[in-house]
Amino acid sequence: MQGNTRRTGIMTDVHRRFLQLLMTHGVLEECDVKRLQKHCYKVHDCNATIEKLEDFINNINSVLESLYIEIKKGVTEDDGRPIYALVNLATTSISKMASDFAENELDLFRKALELIIDSDTGFASSTNILNLVDQLKGKKMRKKEAEHVLQKFVQSKWLIEKEGEFTLHGRAILEMDQYIRETYPDAVKVCNICRSLLIQGQSCETCGIRMHLPCVAKYFQSNSEPHCPHCNDYWPHEVPEVFDPEKERETGMSRSNKRSLRSRQH
Amino acid sequence: MRTSSPGVRGGKADSKSSRTRRPCSCETEQICPNKAPGEEGDPKALQQAADEGRPHQAPSTSQLSPAPPAPAQLVQKAHELMWYVLVKDQKRMIIWFPDMVKDVIGSYKKWCRSILRRTSLILARVFGLHLRLTSLHTMEFSLVKALEPEELDRVALSNRMPMTGLLLMILSLIYVKGRGARESAVWNVLRILGLRPWKKHSTFGDVRKLITEEFVQQNYLKYQRVPHVEPPEYEFFWGSRASREITKMQIMEFLARVFKKNPQAWPSRYREALEEARALREAHPTAHCPRNSVSED
Repeated sequence: MQGNTRRTGIMTDVHRRFLQLLMTHGVLEECDVKRLQKHCYKVHDCNATIEKLEDFINNINSVLESLYIEIKKGVTEDDGRPIYALVNLATTSISKMASDFAENELDLFRKALELIIDSDTGFASSTNILNLVDQLKGKKMRKKEAEHVLQKFVQSKWLIEKEGEFTLHGRAILEMDQYIRETYPDAVKVCNICRSLLIQGQSCETCGIRMHLPCVAKYFQSNSEPHCPHCNDYWPHEVPEVFDPEKERETGMSRSNKRSLRSRQH
Repeated sequence: MRTSSPGVRGGKADSKSSRTRRPCSCETEQICPNKAPGEEGDPKALQQAADEGRPHQAPSTSQLSPAPPAPAQLVQKAHELMWYVLVKDQKRMIIWFPDMVKDVIGSYKKWCRSILRRTSLILARVFGLHLRLTSLHTMEFSLVKALEPEELDRVALSNRMPMTGLLLMILSLIYVKGRGARESAVWNVLRILGLRPWKKHSTFGDVRKLITEEFVQQNYLKYQRVPHVEPPEYEFFWGSRASREITKMQIMEFLARVFKKNPQAWPSRYREALEEARALREAHPTAHCPRNSVSED
């Protein structure tokens, strides 16, 4: 049980503790994941060299494969932060949430999800969601109650709220990627650059292709005259900055400050 | 009613032996031929307890389909149960056997013993976690860390709150009462979690020391003698650190989760929580969720 895990598929206590803690936290940003990895090495095998994070996670995933779960890496749609979550690949519905919420609450989430996916901006207004309260399955829910349930979703990191509108948290996108693609195959939007599911982003006003904000940032980095990769028309939106973890640590900028500088554009 | 026997509680020793038996070629796709005798006791006793508690079962579909399911289906159920238990634990919800049957095992109830066994094996091998029956009386399971040392993770990601569930249980009791909670009342509540003042717990250790000394030292709780009472009695209050780090709304969320009720079921407390939330928003308009919130621990 000592820590020489050059072969894939061997779980040691380092990996086990890592998995435990990742599961406890639900979703973690990359900097926290690295700290977590360091902590697990320190506890169980302080003499070993810390494996590169990508390899470390791939090793664990090779063991998890037969269990139909995976440590997935994603990127937050608004500011391009890498995030990690342990997801269940075998879900055929919103089953991850199922044990947490009542039937009418789950249905409220489904309604909100549908509005978000159908919307052009990737956001659904609180009013529009609450107007659907009468159509929910299960016990009757009042609008006041629904407001509270929406806040529960925000706290559990399924939804993000901005100025009275709701969109999907990065965690929800990671967990429900497959479910969303299967359930809304026509309404679903995809990023032109990375081909992943797209909820928030920028779109070309001429040909309509869409790109994630962090994908826009990378694609047009140091390009003073950005043009649409598809139709070559002038790209009309402000190009955000590429996420740089080093820079953020230096300036000590808080997340909430950064958010207010970005605007979402379509 | 069965009293707890070593067979029921014997999880830790058995799991260790199942861990050292890892050379067993039990890949999850095949049924493991090695039956650990100790582990039979665990779910078997549970199964009997479940049956005892439910004399009038509705005719189960397993009676209508006598053929045992394919091994692959049992494996799949074990995987679903594993995830179910992990998520419940993540949300700090009670893992209740009847819920497990209702939400996951379903018509495979007849084979829940082998499903449970496989799930426990996977959790131990992959996550280093024990699926332990903590209370035969209430049929509650909990996930217990099977790795040594156990205590360090609390500080792994920075100064997070310790023993959140236990602490919240006590804090919410105090909050709902609206005044100090006598030690006897606290132990009544902790009994639900299977905790007793004289018993050492695998996760919490010496529980009495934890709540009367450690939590007090960390300023999460205050432990004071009740004035003018003989023989001496003690009561608990919120500590200054709890008042700083935990909001009343978080307490309401916790209560709602544990009792599966709407937080508005405690109307005056809920109103207080709303007031506090409003006051906090007005005081700190740019702040978003506090970093040390309960849900992040």
